[in-house]
Amino acid sequence: MFSKVLIANRGEIALRVIRACHELGVRAVAVYSDADERAPHVRAADEAVHIGPAPSAESYLKGDRIVEAAVRVGAEAIHPGYGFLSEREWFARAVREAGLVFIGPPAEAIAAMGSKTAARQLAIAAGVPVVPGTTEALRDEADARAVAERFGYPVLLKAAAGGGGKGMRVVRDAASLGPSLETARREAKAAFGDDAVYVEKYIVGPRHVEIQVLGDTHGTMLSLNERECSVQRRHQKMIEEAPSVAVTRELRRRMGETAVRAASAAGYVNAGTCEFLLDANGEFYFLEMNTRLQVEHPVTELVTGLDLVQWQLRVAAGERLPFKQEEIVPRGWAMECRITSEDPANGFLPSTGRVRYLHLPSGPCVRWDGGIESGSEVTLYYDPMLAKLIVWAPSRELAIARMHRALSELVIAGVETSRDFHLRVMEDDEFRRGAIEIQWLERRLSSLLEAKAPEALRQIAAIAGALIADRERGAPRGSITAAPSAPAPAAAAWKRAARLEGLR
Amino acid sequence: MKYSVSVNGESYEIEVDADTVRVGDIASRARILDLDGPSTPLRMLTIGEEIHRVQMRPGESRGRYTLWIDGFRFEVEALDERTRAIRELSAATAKPTGPAPLVAPMPGMIVRVSVGEGDAVQAGEGLVVMEAMKMENELRAAAAGTVKRVHVAPGTAVEKGALLLEME
Repeated sequence: MFSKVLIANRGEIALRVIRACHELGVRAVAVYSDADERAPHVRAADEAVHIGPAPSAESYLKGDRIVEAAVRVGAEAIHPGYGFLSEREWFARAVREAGLVFIGPPAEAIAAMGSKTAARQLAIAAGVPVVPGTTEALRDEADARAVAERFGYPVLLKAAAGGGGKGMRVVRDAASLGPSLETARREAKAAFGDDAVYVEKYIVGPRHVEIQVLGDTHGTMLSLNERECSVQRRHQKMIEEAPSVAVTRELRRRMGETAVRAASAAGYVNAGTCEFLLDANGEFYFLEMNTRLQVEHPVTELVTGLDLVQWQLRVAAGERLPFKQEEIVPRGWAMECRITSEDPANGFLPSTGRVRYLHLPSGPCVRWDGGIESGSEVTLYYDPMLAKLIVWAPSRELAIARMHRALSELVIAGVETSRDFHLRVMEDDEFRRGAIEIQWLERRLSSLLEAKAPEALRQIAAIAGALIADRERGAPRGSITAAPSAPAPAAAAWKRAARLEGLR
Repeated sequence: MKYSVSVNGESYEIEVDADTVRVGDIASRARILDLDGPSTPLRMLTIGEEIHRVQMRPGESRGRYTLWIDGFRFEVEALDERTRAIRELSAATAKPTGPAPLVAPMPGMIVRVSVGEGDAVQAGEGLVVMEAMKMENELRAAAAGTVKRVHVAPGTAVEKGALLLEME
């Protein structure tokens, strides 16, 4: 095992990796920008290296500077987390060339899977089913039009270098193709510095089901089974669970074998994820492979009992995976809600500010993977995901009840968050039945957000409002609420009495 | 003291007398307590023996609060009788105001302005596309009106609250 690892990331995932390092007795080195000098991931680390100003392009994306820092502090390996440099082939290569270990797949596997078009070609060659689409980036609008007509509308435009829903557009008819292509290109350029876009047939009503794989350097590649991530808004995952209501034991085996085949074809090692669309008939199509640890990895950890990040470190250090495929059987049900600084009551607009108060849920089988604490500043520099709330229970029904209970305990004040949205989803009949697919949320969102509190609760809100106002009455402007039992100085009491008299 | 309380636009009449609260004919003992001191947002509301967890944020004017109770969010305005009487008098003499201008709900960059000066727009129509956190967000018209002035162009970086469009 390594004795010192540098974590080239921030926020909750940096903390997650630091925790795994410490549990394995490995010293953890954090990196940070100007905005993160006092961030939780820095304080959790054993050492921390400043790498630049707040914008990620000048700090967390500065691969050369990060490799230099790792060499200087004597780290033997770099864990990239997700996002930032995690899927950059050149970074994995730079780490290796500096004589360090990249905790992830080899640079060649990132290259093979990194571009979606390359991944498709590789999948097709390996006999993995894919959604009909182009394997080459579009030349121009005329090219796009010709391809779209061949597949039939609706089609999907996707950034070749993309991920996370950026640079992705559904086109329902010929008229909207031109403007959508323009938007997709612009978003792709802004987010990834590459405006290459390709087209595929849009499968209506599928679920997003992905398979976690884990491989060692000795030729073992295992499927750690599926996660269902169908609850998405604008192609961004909001809620993930494992297992999936739509996956039978037989389908799990077939999808797992397919994912292992795709990963092996790319010469993959370490943790990765093959994403599939699963249609209502149980047909599945390979979408892409994420050559890194996923945001939603905890749900797999909770149902398999395996610590994925620890295994990433062990495999990178050359250890053999000691289990067999048939030993990996999902147990119970896990669910994750992404708590983001977005205001559901206001079109999910990003919210910024200082976290003034934070109360975390606890109790049986509740896990909080967070990157914020009371006093944290939420800025526009980084991703709006603040934390992940994850629960485990013996069944899906109980997991939903537990998630609802845990969300009710969570208090984040100072920034708007997606918490209430998640509560409404947990209360939704369709979600509870598992009747979800990737368009489910878009269709259901407005009714979820308009869900009115029960009349009894509205009346309770009125009583609370009247009581708060009553306590503020007579209190000087600016002071919000003084505890009624607090003994007031005599002079203030006289003033208050006089003011009350004046009001009568 | 009688309070007229608006909860998400719905009105309630609540009478508060020390620790007794009357709603219609029903009187109960009720109180709201700070937890961790008044500067933190947590409150505990008890009505009779019933407990409710309240999170509170003071609003822009006295008597206005955003409350979260049992997982629901409420925009609340509680006015005592006197304040309400004064408010009604002054509202009657105030000049009518036009449709609200469009302001930036967050810092970001303008990607596109979909309307021009003099354009008539419908409620819900897209007006401006802003980019923030690497995502494009479309800002829509809250009400029907006419665009009076456009203050931004694609590429303009704006702060939260910046005036984007004036409406009439």
